[in-house]
Amino acid sequence: MEAGGSPPLLSVENVSMSFGGVQALRDGSFDLERGEVVAIVGGNGAGKSTLVKIVAGAHVPNSGRIAVNGVEVPRAEHSVSHMQARGIEIVYQDLALVPNMTAPYNLFLGRIPKKWGIFVDEAKMRQKTREVLSQLNVTTVQDLSQPISSMSGGQQQSIAIGRAIAWGSEIVILDEPTAALGPNETAEVERLVEDVRERHRTAFVLISHNLDQVRRLADRIVVTHHGVTSREFKRDEITSDRLVKAITLGE
Amino acid sequence: MSDTTPPRPFLSPERKAILRDYVPFIAITLVILLFWAISGDRFMSVRNWTFIAQQTPVLMLLAFAQLMIVTTGSIDISIGSSLAFSAFLGALGMLWLGDAGLVLGIFAGGLVGMANGLIISLLKIPSFVTTLAMLIIVRALVIIVSDGTAIYITDSSVTGGTNITSVAAPWLLSMGKFPAIFILAAIVAVLMWIFYERTAFGQQLKAVGGNEKVLRLVGINVTAFKVKVFAAAGLMVGLAACVNLARAGAATPQAGLMIELDAIAAVALGGTPLTGGYGSVVKTIIGALTLTIVRNGLTIAGVPPSWSQVALGVLMIAAIAISLNRSKIDVVK
Repeated sequence: MEAGGSPPLLSVENVSMSFGGVQALRDGSFDLERGEVVAIVGGNGAGKSTLVKIVAGAHVPNSGRIAVNGVEVPRAEHSVSHMQARGIEIVYQDLALVPNMTAPYNLFLGRIPKKWGIFVDEAKMRQKTREVLSQLNVTTVQDLSQPISSMSGGQQQSIAIGRAIAWGSEIVILDEPTAALGPNETAEVERLVEDVRERHRTAFVLISHNLDQVRRLADRIVVTHHGVTSREFKRDEITSDRLVKAITLGE
Repeated sequence: MSDTTPPRPFLSPERKAILRDYVPFIAITLVILLFWAISGDRFMSVRNWTFIAQQTPVLMLLAFAQLMIVTTGSIDISIGSSLAFSAFLGALGMLWLGDAGLVLGIFAGGLVGMANGLIISLLKIPSFVTTLAMLIIVRALVIIVSDGTAIYITDSSVTGGTNITSVAAPWLLSMGKFPAIFILAAIVAVLMWIFYERTAFGQQLKAVGGNEKVLRLVGINVTAFKVKVFAAAGLMVGLAACVNLARAGAATPQAGLMIELDAIAAVALGGTPLTGGYGSVVKTIIGALTLTIVRNGLTIAGVPPSWSQVALGVLMIAAIAISLNRSKIDVVK
């Protein structure tokens, strides 16, 4: 916590996690301020995904502390729905979407609005989807009755990010958001992130192997190495060479 | 874009996709025309179509049960045994409790379905294996409970000097005849359409079939949902069992032998991929109707039963080969 200032939007302190005796993450720590983009980089198996899944509530850590706006999240509330209620959303690497369903359904995944308790309120879903798409300046998605498998990778990722911001969340975790996309679509998604951050002051946690992308988008860069968050850099104070060295050697 | 666009092939991909959508409707039209041409008025008579309208409902209800499960990407091959078990408990219920005891049959189906769902979800045993085991177990249970004998539904109380178990329920027998059974089937079909196409539960069936992992990631309790799906499908099987009881006039230990395969065939003829994620109630009805008409037409045309079965198998492969877009499928299991 900053002396005299308000507490950070998100504060992760010394979270550890092991799976069946294998320590995936040890003492993972980082802070996130409103409207900030923090990138987490590291080699394979360095614990990046484990760290963000804990923040998203998908994993319950063995130890450590997570606080949102200075309020600690009780252990019993380390679940996806409780983290969502605190404004934390995650966009998964493999486009966590249901390919055979429409864009509105995917946007409302797990939150389907109902009429009379059982019926799907499709009109409401379509209207909200159009709102979110226009907020994102995505004009290429027109037909909302098509399954999203008929859309391009960039459009699908827009829907996935749209789902994360549609509910007024303050923190959006992007797990390898462009790993499966071509250069044009990558640029589209990066524009979208910059845009959302400027307009809504949304904070992003970005996991990426693309170091150019990390240097383009992130204000701060946290390096994980062998399950430990070893170093933290400001964007302007680090060269690519030093970043690579930090990732590979943990220096 | 060049000025000289190549000549469009007659079957462009879009046209093929549209055509594929209509395969079940085209198939049933061709089947009807074919049998009309072969058997003439003996096939195209009011009497025969009344018969078809009486034959289809049980298969249609079983196909609905199968449709729910197949949409999620699972399969249920226990429904034939479940049908016999449910019909038996329905008949027993009427013996014990009077007419209202028939609902026991519906609940029995739900119970078998729920057991399937619990085993699949909690022990994580694939639905094919679980329901295959249940097919065997439940059939055996029916034989044990019934002691190998049937319970008959009669028009009036059988009096004196008989060791046949029977229940007098003329209302039930009339439910199994043309206008009543057809109206019941139509009502259930409309409800099923609303349930499958318009409710959140119906949409979730498709979503689970599409990407179950994603639903788990966003915090949906897929395990509990699957148990509900199997239980709901089981209730539908129970209802089918009661309709079959009305139609056949008896609960026999052999009821519904191999009918699970007909239910799967009806779903497949309706263009629903067995891999899950998609499905259509209307096309499933068409699938059940097609199956019934082919059986009926072949019988009228004098084709021996064994050859009828061969024809049905060939029809099924042909329909699925045409109706599913297999060009994007590399791995076939």
